[in-house]
Amino acid sequence: MLEIQNISRSFYRNRALEDVSFSVREGEIFGLLGPNGAGKTTLIRIINQIIEPDTGVVRFRKDLMNRRHLSQIGYLPEERGLYKTMTVQGHAEFLGKLRGMSARDIRKNLNYWLEHFSIEDWRKKRIEELSKGMAQKVQFICTVLHQPELLILDEPFSGFDPINTELIRKELIRMRNDGKTIILSSHNMRSVEEICDRVVLIDRARKVMEGRVSELREAGRTGHFKVQFRGNMIAFVNALWIGFELVDKEILADDRFIATVAVRGESSFDDLLKTLIGQVRIEAAWEELPSMEQLFIRKINEGKESEHE
Amino acid sequence: MNKSGIVAWRELRERTASRSFLLVTFIGPLLVLGIIYSLFAIGGKTKTHWNVLITDPANIMDHKVMASENKAMTYSFADNYIEVEEFANAKKYRQYDAMVEINEKILGNKSGFVFYREEPSERIRILIRYQMERRLEEVMVGQFTNLDINKFRQIKQPVTFAFRNAYDPKGESPVVQGWVGFVFGALIFLFIFLFGMTILRSVTREKANRVIEVLLASIRPNQLMLGKITGIGISALLQMLVWILVIGSGLYLMRETLFPDFGDAANMDLMQAATARGDSYAERYFSAVEYNEFVELIYNRIRFGIMLFYFVLFFVVAYLFYGAFFVSIGASMGSESDGQQFVFPLILLFLLGLYAGYHTVYYPTDELTTWMQYLPFTAPMVSMVRLSMGYRVGTEYELYLSLFILLVSALGMLALSNRVFTNGVLQFGHRLRVRHIVRWMKKN
Repeated sequence: MLEIQNISRSFYRNRALEDVSFSVREGEIFGLLGPNGAGKTTLIRIINQIIEPDTGVVRFRKDLMNRRHLSQIGYLPEERGLYKTMTVQGHAEFLGKLRGMSARDIRKNLNYWLEHFSIEDWRKKRIEELSKGMAQKVQFICTVLHQPELLILDEPFSGFDPINTELIRKELIRMRNDGKTIILSSHNMRSVEEICDRVVLIDRARKVMEGRVSELREAGRTGHFKVQFRGNMIAFVNALWIGFELVDKEILADDRFIATVAVRGESSFDDLLKTLIGQVRIEAAWEELPSMEQLFIRKINEGKESEHE
Repeated sequence: MNKSGIVAWRELRERTASRSFLLVTFIGPLLVLGIIYSLFAIGGKTKTHWNVLITDPANIMDHKVMASENKAMTYSFADNYIEVEEFANAKKYRQYDAMVEINEKILGNKSGFVFYREEPSERIRILIRYQMERRLEEVMVGQFTNLDINKFRQIKQPVTFAFRNAYDPKGESPVVQGWVGFVFGALIFLFIFLFGMTILRSVTREKANRVIEVLLASIRPNQLMLGKITGIGISALLQMLVWILVIGSGLYLMRETLFPDFGDAANMDLMQAATARGDSYAERYFSAVEYNEFVELIYNRIRFGIMLFYFVLFFVVAYLFYGAFFVSIGASMGSESDGQQFVFPLILLFLLGLYAGYHTVYYPTDELTTWMQYLPFTAPMVSMVRLSMGYRVGTEYELYLSLFILLVSALGMLALSNRVFTNGVLQFGHRLRVRHIVRWMKKN
């Protein structure tokens, strides 16, 4: 769907992006991750043709990206705004026309979305009469009004309460299932983990990680296992022999714990379970995979350390 | 509709729907009409009737003033001497507005006094002085010569040489017309400044609430910039059109209803007839007491058709020129409050324009005026003033050249401001410096 090829961009002496390449596949939710100032917004602006790269190209369905493709893209920037004195309908008409929609299509699609979100009575309301959350919904509607093939959402959940966050999250999954492609830039790692198929991590203008969420978490495994059990903690520790080490524990009740165990050398998860059976009552056991948030922090810190060295 | 057109339409609708726009559009011209009405009314105040008491104990004037009566003045005579204090305070003299003191020595020392209650207008002063002098002249000619009074006046009339412009031999006071051009030029600057600030505020507001980023994902920066300038410019033109219509209709109605005698040739032509006869200043005043120069200026001497045509033309081109500055400043600002100081140089340029207009009124053909006519910052003002005063035959090309230079400058400025807009409109949170603008101007 979208190929980012060797994109570099500087703002005077500041390098915003350096040789960044990745691709976004048709019909997936793709996470664009990175700390503040990493270069995500610059990259999104380049994709949207708002600014041009110094080097590199963007391809949209194999064609070199140009302004004609913009009608197939819906963009919701992180710091988004609306004209306060315009009505919801006025806004939709203005932005819809800018994206080349006919008045009839604008009306039809707006009706659909207002009904879909059960907010038909907002149509004639001015933006200044809406709460922040309500305005966010209007912005989302304006972004998807022209039924774009590619949606680029920069922090789409910011400003939403949990109910609306869930509403938008479900909407994005539904759109993905309908074949739309979505690029999601977010700091909300839980959302990324839950809905993104693949991610790219950008740090200090460079790409530092790319892949499927599940594969990245697998790759980031540390050999730690979690065991939830009933019994005595001393008995649990005594049962561990040389191939295992208790790293952490969480007390759930007087006789109920979750222990984090590091497996050393040739030992395996099976060996651990065999060792513990009979000593404590095991309720659950699983391999601890790093969350996207942990991976994110680990990668960023690795980058900082290597820079200091 | 292309994308610039969509933006322009939105801007136009937003402006025309705002209460302040509607207020300025309809109240503004009514205020101007009110001022014009006041000027007409003040001009008509010379009709105020004056009661003048002449104290002439020696009966030098023989209870006579002039052969022909004048509506503005009524003279009464007192054969006794009246103290000034008595005149000022006594109840019986309250009906008189002024007292002329004619004592027995006046034929010798040739000086007298006029005591008034309220400061008389210049016209009333001239009338009293003129009528007293004429009557005393008659008395003196009768007493000291054997000449007929008319013969005496013929001899007394000094030989005068009037300096007249060879291109304006009738001496139709181009300075007054020049001020009319000045008002037109000042209106151009006023509208440009008001609507230029609207452009600036519109851009900074879109930057501040970040709607700009949504827009730029659908429209090129230059299309957005042109759309904004066009939309706001059309709203300015619309407002001006309403002003012209309301003021024009108001002037017409005023002439037809409130001041029907303005169109009366008997009133209007007196002054011109007196001028053509070569009468003295006082005679002209005397013969045309009802004359109101401002009325004649408004209804007879301004070539409204041609003035309005060039007014609109210069406004459009100058608006594009100055609008480019305002849009650049708006796009460069880091926050809504930042960069206001950059409007100050523009205000100075407007003041320079006003000075240029003033200079042109008095020196319409000197070298500085010519230069200022070609300088884009001052061209609209100088051209409007010169147009109102009339171009000499063979120099009309100066007007067209001035307009052409302004147009080329406007296009150049729009190209530069496009660069500033493109590079600056997505920069937030900085404190605006001149180097930012220069840097963005250089960058493609």
